[in-house]
Amino acid sequence: MAELNGFEYDVVVVGSGAGGGMAAYTLTKEGLRVLMLEAGRDYDPIEETPMFQTNAEAPLRGTSNKDKNFGYYDATVDGGWQVPGEPYTMAEGTKFMLWRARMLGGRTNHWGRLVPRFGPYDFKPKTRDGYGEDWPIDYDEIEPWYDKTDHLIGVCGDNPGVDNIPDVTEGVMQPAPEPRVMEILLKKACESLDIPVVKMRRAVMTEDKGDGRSPCFWATNCGRGCSIGAAFQTTTSLIPFAKATGRLKVVTDAMVKWVHTGEAGQANAVTYVDRQTGKDVKLKAPRVVLAPSATETARILLNSKSKKYPNGLANSSGQVGRNLMDSTGAGVSGHVPAMQGRPRYNEDGHTGNHYYVPWWGYQDQAKGKLNFPRGYHFEFGGRFSEPNIWTGGGVDGYGKKAKQAVRDKYGSSIGFSLRGEMVPNENCYCEIDSEVKDKWGIPVLKFHWKWAESEIKQVEHGLKWGEKIIKAMGGVVTSPKRTGEEAILAGGQIIHEVGTTRMGDDPKTSVTNKHGQTWDVDNLFVMDGGVFVSSPHQNCTITIMALAMKNATWMSKQIKRGVL
Amino acid sequence: MTAFRKDIDRRTSMKWMASMAATVLSASAGTYETLAADAYGEESSTWPALTLKRITGPGYGTDPDLVSPKTPWPLTLSTEEKLLLTRLSDLICPEDSGGPSASHVGVVSVIDEWVSAPYRSQQNDRMLVIPGLQWVNEEAQRRSGRSFLDSSNKQQEAILDAIAYADKGFGEELKMPKRFFSKLRQLVFGAYFSSPEGMKDIGYMGNVPIEGPWPGPTREALEHLNTVLENLGYKPEPIPLVQE
Ligand SMILES: Cc1cc2nc3c(=O)[nH]c(=O)nc-3n(C[C@H](O)[C@H](O)[C@H](O)COP(=O)(O)OP(=O)(O)OC[C@H]3O[C@@H](n4cnc5c(N)ncnc54)[C@H](O)[C@@H]3O)c2cc1C
Ligand code: SF4
Repeated sequence: MAELNGFEYDVVVVGSGAGGGMAAYTLTKEGLRVLMLEAGRDYDPIEETPMFQTNAEAPLRGTSNKDKNFGYYDATVDGGWQVPGEPYTMAEGTKFMLWRARMLGGRTNHWGRLVPRFGPYDFKPKTRDGYGEDWPIDYDEIEPWYDKTDHLIGVCGDNPGVDNIPDVTEGVMQPAPEPRVMEILLKKACESLDIPVVKMRRAVMTEDKGDGRSPCFWATNCGRGCSIGAAFQTTTSLIPFAKATGRLKVVTDAMVKWVHTGEAGQANAVTYVDRQTGKDVKLKAPRVVLAPSATETARILLNSKSKKYPNGLANSSGQVGRNLMDSTGAGVSGHVPAMQGRPRYNEDGHTGNHYYVPWWGYQDQAKGKLNFPRGYHFEFGGRFSEPNIWTGGGVDGYGKKAKQAVRDKYGSSIGFSLRGEMVPNENCYCEIDSEVKDKWGIPVLKFHWKWAESEIKQVEHGLKWGEKIIKAMGGVVTSPKRTGEEAILAGGQIIHEVGTTRMGDDPKTSVTNKHGQTWDVDNLFVMDGGVFVSSPHQNCTITIMALAMKNATWMSKQIKRGVL
Repeated sequence: MTAFRKDIDRRTSMKWMASMAATVLSASAGTYETLAADAYGEESSTWPALTLKRITGPGYGTDPDLVSPKTPWPLTLSTEEKLLLTRLSDLICPEDSGGPSASHVGVVSVIDEWVSAPYRSQQNDRMLVIPGLQWVNEEAQRRSGRSFLDSSNKQQEAILDAIAYADKGFGEELKMPKRFFSKLRQLVFGAYFSSPEGMKDIGYMGNVPIEGPWPGPTREALEHLNTVLENLGYKPEPIPLVQE
């Protein structure tokens, strides 16, 4: 046990987002005492969430700019594509984008809450097609933890019975909302093309769970945060739940820079910069869980050099910072003339997509019919959303006719966001930039990125099918014709960075074992997306949380047995 | 934000208009100057060669108050610019049976806030809007020897007719005026339809809490969808019996 201002603790957890929030929750529920260090400021979603404020009330009609990259009301504090005073760098020829936030709860305050699970195929990708690596666990091993996580955080969805979308145990999920008009049209169009369209699983509560949070009331954009707790974020759930045990203490504005080790090579302390005072604070750390997000975990480990660990902590494999992955991303948009002037109704729903297009090509890939190894899904948008400063774009002329044209066009546009799997490759990684430091004096990350042919081909396939679907909906494609290379978004832009401290069965090729415990340092664990072995097209965060719950449970067992 | 209102008499406004062409329109907190045309790499003989200061002061920052939003930067448009914008906004978005005119809902103030904002893309728009306003006036002078506001409705419309349509007026001369107009139109309609009156006009019905499950599309919306589905050769959607 260590102690801070009278609070005794067994474990230091770094980060309060998806991974850190779940680690702290699980450990405290298991009876352990946790000190959480969070770089961002304290944040209160009850007081700070702009629930019903309209675009008209915000500067510039709420539109995005360099201060608020996803719009004025987006629940991102001191962050976005840049954090003031905390840069990252890129190797020549690299385009990489890193989204961060400096607030309690991290990116869970504003994320999209789309929570499809990885399926059985996804844990054994190498076995299936020879690329990348297999995970040291399989679907059956993680399934109970997915169930527990879905149930705890509150997920709506159903069991569509589609290839590689595992059925969820009865009673775990809450009902998901019915489709909107455009989503019904999408379904019909895709059926005609033999493509599935299913309900999106979303971390949005639709029924009261009696834990103080309220179910979704079908209004207000979840990206602003959800003061009633229906849209999952750690600041309305895991953190207050863990605090209620009396075994969690949170220190905000605590930017961890080093993990220190003792004679035996064990972690024994951490140093953080107090962002209020700019001063270093060194704290004892009996055990450390890193969950400041995959790239930051790599940064802390690589910066924590010592005589014993000259290449950085837990890096005997040389894999820390390597195998960096994101999802592939591209957009296709269209307009459905027959939907012009369609009858109005309230289409807010849970403000995310109710339906989406899951990957349908697993069997074709298994048979070698496609020229790229891994799949993608399409997220879909097309509804009467709150008008904004761009609502008047794309009409001609002026006067009453033009005014009517804006009304007619409203709600007739559609957009597809491709999110695909990338295979890890040796050109995508991060390392410490030997020349640049942030304003706290901490050396920053330098990113290297190059998409491989397999990802470009995948995006090309997606562009073609996106256009096919738009046409099958009776629509016209409005996005420009592009090659895969032109259309693919930057590395990091989909904000699913994972893989920098991957888990495995072999200490020579992986950083942690299958419990997220680093091979080199027994009492040091990673519980964010760093441990991912592959980056399936399904959005990553539910798997970050299920693994954090699983691994924190295992960790606490070891502690209780006295082995840790 | 207090909405700008047109309550200045015609004579005063004429006086302002006369002085406008000569004025270099300045903004409060500029640090460097750009030839407005340079921002777009275009120049044509009638497009005013204004030297405008870019506004580069502080914005609202990376942690503004989201619950009670405030606009920290000062508004910068002159009264004469606002008068001209009032007329142009209402030509673009007049009152009709669906809703009021643009200026009635405060669109001019929104545009003032927009072009006064110390952000790159808003400043790029400023480089179009301010010379564009001057161009409109000068074009009116060229055509009839009067300012735009003093021109007849017909003359005003003739000027807009020359720059408001994608398939008309392809000459180099009109390239910048057309760009200006299409930006202005987007801002006017965007500001109008995102105002409380405009949201009602366009039929946005959300942002209200609903208890229980999501009600889904109305019968009317589904009936419309079914005609679309049938035209595409798809099976219609069953319409639930009970729908409000
Ligand atoms: C707009 C948006 C939409 C998204 N949509 C989805 C989606 O629909 N589905 C999905 O699965 N994923 C989505 N994501 C991704 C998702 O947010 C992340 O995968 C997830 O939050 C990662 O969890 P994490 O705990 O690793 O990191 P975070 O949630 O970012 O938490 C990390 C925390 O650690 C803190 N920290 C960082 N460095 C330090 C340090 N040195 N010391 C102390 N603390 C530190 C940070 O301030 C932060 O609070 C989205 C992300 C964004 C931005
Ligand atoms: S749509 Fe529902 S879940 Fe999302 S913020 Fe609003 S109430 Fe919360």
